[in-house]
Amino acid sequence: MPAVQGIDVLALLMIAHLLASLVASELRNLRLSAWALVVQAFFLACIIASYGVVWNNPSLFIWAFVTVLTKVIIIPSLLLHHIRVTGLTMEIRPLIGLRMSVLMSVFLVVALYWLFRTYIYFIAPTIAAMMEPARSNLAMAFCIFSLGMYVLITRRDVVKVVVGFVLLENGAHLALITLAPTLPATTKLGIWTNVIIAAWLLIKLAEGIYKALGVVDTLSLSELKR
Amino acid sequence: MVVESLLPILVFVIPTVCGIISLSLRRINSIIHGTIAVAGLLGTLCVAILITIEVLQGNVLTAFSNTVYADGLSALMELLGCGMGILVAIYSLRYIPVHVAHRPDAPQRLSTYYGLLLLFLGMMNWTCVTNNIVWLYVTLEATTLATAFLVTFYWERRSLEAGYKYLMLVTVGVIFSLFGLVLIYAGAIELPEMKGRDVLLITELSRVGPKISYSVVLLANALILAGFGAKAGLVPFHAWLPDAHAEAPAPISALLSGIVIKVGAYAIARTVTIFAPQYPAVVVFVAIMASLSMVIGILMALVQDDIKRMLAYSSVSQIGYVVEGLGFGTYLGIYGALFHLMNHTIVKALLFLTAGAVAHMTGTRKMSELGGLVRHMPVVAVCFFIGAIAIGGLPPFNMFMSKFTLFMAAADVGLLWAAIIAVFTGLLTVACFLRAAARIFWGRPCKAIQPAAVAANGGEVHLPISMLIPMIVLAILTVVLGIYPGLVHPLLDNATMCILKILRAGM
Repeated sequence: MPAVQGIDVLALLMIAHLLASLVASELRNLRLSAWALVVQAFFLACIIASYGVVWNNPSLFIWAFVTVLTKVIIIPSLLLHHIRVTGLTMEIRPLIGLRMSVLMSVFLVVALYWLFRTYIYFIAPTIAAMMEPARSNLAMAFCIFSLGMYVLITRRDVVKVVVGFVLLENGAHLALITLAPTLPATTKLGIWTNVIIAAWLLIKLAEGIYKALGVVDTLSLSELKR
Repeated sequence: MVVESLLPILVFVIPTVCGIISLSLRRINSIIHGTIAVAGLLGTLCVAILITIEVLQGNVLTAFSNTVYADGLSALMELLGCGMGILVAIYSLRYIPVHVAHRPDAPQRLSTYYGLLLLFLGMMNWTCVTNNIVWLYVTLEATTLATAFLVTFYWERRSLEAGYKYLMLVTVGVIFSLFGLVLIYAGAIELPEMKGRDVLLITELSRVGPKISYSVVLLANALILAGFGAKAGLVPFHAWLPDAHAEAPAPISALLSGIVIKVGAYAIARTVTIFAPQYPAVVVFVAIMASLSMVIGILMALVQDDIKRMLAYSSVSQIGYVVEGLGFGTYLGIYGALFHLMNHTIVKALLFLTAGAVAHMTGTRKMSELGGLVRHMPVVAVCFFIGAIAIGGLPPFNMFMSKFTLFMAAADVGLLWAAIIAVFTGLLTVACFLRAAARIFWGRPCKAIQPAAVAANGGEVHLPISMLIPMIVLAILTVVLGIYPGLVHPLLDNATMCILKILRAGM
């Protein structure tokens, strides 16, 4: 574990990563939310690079670089472009009000972190995965994944839905790095390519929906329920 | 015998390259796009046939150090995919240009249509020959991404809504399976038996299935079932399916119901079966999910007025039969499941293409607005009727044989309740489809509808021959496989043995 003057760098990065995830999910200003996603993804890249140092695994540096390229640059750029096209910078009122939502997401993250960390043997398949730092990282990954699900369920704005989707993907990838850091580069590349295409398609669809229907509210997509 | 070969690579490279060519030629005639698609898929079908010949001789074709691996199950899926792809491409030759003719961007749309169709088939074939669990996720996800813009092809309110739901629900769902697959990988990597071996390979993992921790196996299987089950349209992960299948162009609906959801079932067959024999709880869990799918799917189908939505809900029900058979883990169960998978692909494609022909000529998909079409479209009526009886599981058609095999398999493993639910669902399916056939083709024509095409032709309707041929071919296959099921026995037997090999490797 790299330590700088007694401070656990990896633990700090994880806390910063989690805080950025919470901010990205709760900010009502879409542009700021997209920028928070940039910060969140940057911390993810830093965590991956730190793992590269801790486990002496240079392939993780490439993975960290690809994370910067895809999640810090490409996906937020697509989101910011979409916000510019629509000119809508404030999120449509979500299903849960701001204060209640902040309380709920903080509670969700704290409770799930405790739960996953305490009962890690359910999600950690090996002894090594039950030891630090994998233990905390896995619990964190599942928390961010769950936070992404929470955003997907409670938000109506298409941009926030994409933010939720990216959070969910980032949680899954953090777990992937923790459990399978030695995955071949081609496999990692395949996973990353899928994420970019999926996010691009979602944003293209959101633009199509906005141009065809003039809405960015996913709740208004209910014609097929009738 | 394991043989190094280029064939399993060609089977996904050819359609992918043709798809990229089609996507890059944005301003050419639809006939040229159609020709590229049909020629590319015919080439791919030839490769799939060569693979089938090899596997029927007892060989397994591999490439890239076993990462690409074609056995009987791969061959079965590739034959189905390529065959269905060719029929869909032929049907689309006259169907799709008519539906986009009024748009200024029609040439680009046609390029996108054929390009994505080919890319999908390339990715699907890749899924069926990959032996790597993470690439299984990557390529399966790629099939979703390739088909998303095919679902939204009309780029209208309803299709955009359907495409958004499809992309969101399936993509999020499939991430769960990635979690499950990574758990299995991480559980296996530290085992002494895996030292020096490629832990990502399904053929290697199947050997150490029982050695992975029980709690991890259960969690991983639940995640994989949820993820691949979402792709397969299993209840309760099916919410995307009726909308996507109904709002996509008819040939794409045929492909979605015929092939896309089967890729999910295929992925379940390749992964969950690794653990089935060690943990009976997995078998019961799969049987419960499959039975729920059967019953809820057919009950929802019964209350639909839109033909395509009815067909879509019926797919939710029928995929339940396939997954249940796979879950039994016995020769009879897996054989029945694969036979049903093949038969459902043929019959559901037939029904979707006939529904597309009806909507093409009448301008409506609502059964309450249709009636008496047998006079105007006798060939389509006969094809739909054959499909309706077949999917109901009545003799002498193909689905009778596969359903009967599955009933026997359920009784054989002692899950009598599952057999009873399957029979009950079969009866409801007969009622649902015969009622639909009667409402659409028989009875008095509804006065509210005056089909433009019917009126323009003085009461006569002539569907283009390119739309009729795929329907007739599928109807003939439905009858022939019902009367001579032995024709496909060698391939089904080989594919079944491939899954059993995975099962037994871990015992």
